[in-house]
Amino acid sequence: MLWVALHLPLLSLESFVATLVAGAAARPLALMDVHGIVSANVAAHALGIAPGLKRATALALAPQLTLGQADAARDARSLAAVVHAALAFTPSVTTQPARAVSASRPASPDTVLLEVQASLRHFGGPERRLDGLLQQLHRAIAPLGHVVHVASAPTPLGAALLARMPRARSSLPHERHCPDLPTLRATLDAAPVWLLGPGREHWEALQGMGLRTLGDLLRLPRSGVARRFGADLLGELDRARGERPDPREPIALPATFETRLELFARADTTEQVLHGAALLLARMVAWLTAQHAHVRRFTLVMQHEPRWRKDDRTPTETALVLALTEPSRDPVHLQVLLRERLAQLQLPAPSIELRLQVDDLARRAPLNEELFPTAGSEREGLLRLVERLQARLGPAQVQRLVQRHDHRPERGSELVAATAVLPGGRVAAAAVTQAATNSAANTKAALQAPVRPIWLLAEHQPLHARAHQLWLDGRALHLLSGPERIETGWWDAALAERDYFIAQTTDGALVWVYRTRLPQPETLGCEWFLQGRFG
Amino acid sequence: MDVLPPAAFVAASASAPRRPPSVVGAVQRAPLQPDLLHPALWLGHQLGRQADAAVPSGFAALDQQLPGGGWPRRALTELLLPHPGIGEIRLLGACLVATQRAGRLVMLFDPPADLSAWALARLGLDVEQLLLISTRSRLIAGSDTLWALEQALKSGHVGAVLAWLPPRLRTERLRRLQLAAQAHDGPAFVFREVAAAQRPTAAPLRLGLRAAGADRLAVRVLKRRGPPLEGPVHLELPTVLSAAAGQRAQEAIADSATAGARQEEPALRTASFVNLA
Repeated sequence: MLWVALHLPLLSLESFVATLVAGAAARPLALMDVHGIVSANVAAHALGIAPGLKRATALALAPQLTLGQADAARDARSLAAVVHAALAFTPSVTTQPARAVSASRPASPDTVLLEVQASLRHFGGPERRLDGLLQQLHRAIAPLGHVVHVASAPTPLGAALLARMPRARSSLPHERHCPDLPTLRATLDAAPVWLLGPGREHWEALQGMGLRTLGDLLRLPRSGVARRFGADLLGELDRARGERPDPREPIALPATFETRLELFARADTTEQVLHGAALLLARMVAWLTAQHAHVRRFTLVMQHEPRWRKDDRTPTETALVLALTEPSRDPVHLQVLLRERLAQLQLPAPSIELRLQVDDLARRAPLNEELFPTAGSEREGLLRLVERLQARLGPAQVQRLVQRHDHRPERGSELVAATAVLPGGRVAAAAVTQAATNSAANTKAALQAPVRPIWLLAEHQPLHARAHQLWLDGRALHLLSGPERIETGWWDAALAERDYFIAQTTDGALVWVYRTRLPQPETLGCEWFLQGRFG
Repeated sequence: MDVLPPAAFVAASASAPRRPPSVVGAVQRAPLQPDLLHPALWLGHQLGRQADAAVPSGFAALDQQLPGGGWPRRALTELLLPHPGIGEIRLLGACLVATQRAGRLVMLFDPPADLSAWALARLGLDVEQLLLISTRSRLIAGSDTLWALEQALKSGHVGAVLAWLPPRLRTERLRRLQLAAQAHDGPAFVFREVAAAQRPTAAPLRLGLRAAGADRLAVRVLKRRGPPLEGPVHLELPTVLSAAAGQRAQEAIADSATAGARQEEPALRTASFVNLA
């Protein structure tokens, strides 16, 4: 058994910072509970704000202080994201509650424990190195934006205690690792006595007895310690030292994902919404990684604040649904798509809360990672490109051309929206599936088909005929070949009865003109039209 | 070895790019070849070279005049047209077909009119594998065209790009595209109006196209990495007309040329009449 503990000492403060606008972390911030300040950031510490101060005292010391309310549910959502990120590495993940401040209020967890013995081979390479795994773990947690203290030990509680041990400024290493029980016991013996949860209540009594380290406590007679401080204290110490079993219930990964972020201030601009949504996306990516899945469709719901009381016209929320052509869990790509979509969206009111939920998942084998560009990576890149274009221009603006078997030139080709790029950079559309396979046959058929111009004008341009001569933009046209009669479409509204000619303008360019076989009432007697140009 | 003169000894002991001692005296006679030093260097009368192999255009006469012997990769190629429909797609046809054969994508940005799938298939293109991006319908014309084009060029995953740019484009916009094109491993063609020839361009290759009769195209090299080219290059495009019709076309051109000469005088008289009035 090898347990890795991730201790988040600033969890509640960081989950509060996430609700603020970008760049607010540098300003003095503090979290408040009913009794007063519970935590403060570095800038606030510099101004003299310390946990335990009353609200009025803190504001007198630093009037510019941003005070937030401590919220256990918000902390739990932040910690859940860390748990999800950890679940990508091992199925047995659990949390350890923080030290109880008082007996009346149970402490919320602030430490995540992972049992990684079985995962070392996969993440740590053939030598089963722990630092290889930790490196990847750090990379997975980094987008969530937490300060993490890491420790590893053979027992879960031992690892949690090691991670919580105070660190001197520079003398101690950043991480504490005890690979076997004797090292762990030696380290714990030197640890301060208040590390144990229940010991905190008796902190002054222990201090008065001259007990500073856990080793001092162990040297006392057990029955006396149990009688005076309760059996929990010794029981916890025994579990940490590996002398008593410590079964843990692993956390199961939820089958559906939904997370939310209540913003501290109203988000008026896209940038502010995007700043909050970036964290939600990072949480979603952590969950997707643990699910070994890719997202196909997700929804960002922005809840609005009514402008005034009983405001019926402002909708309570706006939902932005993002459907992806190709399932993905790349946070950069998802954020680019979200940015483009948000830039187009006009929000009716400022947002006060963001909610992100995954609607549709795709499970597939993970892709091989390649150093050099290959056909696969090019296809991936093309997909990204098409998706980005579709996100900004609209899905109907990325099109492809399809050949249709119709003699009328305006119906011989059709534009359909491109939906996906197939392997080898090939494009697929929703409407046509079999056409892609017989495109070679189409090419052969096109060679035998009569000549058609490349450019077809959407609106046929009427031509002036004067003195048996056709004129285009003031220049004479010479008919070179024709007529080619096209007479079809009597069964639908677009009946065409035309004689087509290839004509040449005076500068030498070739154009395609036709003469209506019968006079058309709607064309006011004009019977010659320009339909195409030979590009 | 002790019979070597001191100068030769110094040269031999120096670093590798120095010339061997036997040719030290021949430096003055040998022609200077800066193009061997770096692909970005060439003499005024030479054609420049490309770092990457160029894509053959399918026209030997044109390839001779293009630096690197074809359409450049990783750079913009500017084509100036009086109006669409003078044979520009047929000019690029061979290059586009080669790109598709290599399994890469051809993207078209804002074509000026509808494309006929049958005519493209006749050129040998796989019609279903063309991607058309239309951006004209947006509020500020051109802003999305340039954005989309830059994204496509930057991604480096597109085989060939054809873009019809909005008129009167500012030079720095084109320079931005040219920078993005450096990541694009393939030819990138931008079509612009003829009036753009008056303004400088960031694209290393600029051609002016003009119809020169039926199924013929006159290509003027307006800018290239090499000496300026005086006359246009005349190219025979893949034919649209039958042999008999082609014959008629040549006669029509000759007729209109003589007719134009005859009509010149009355046109002048009309103009002078207007001035007097």
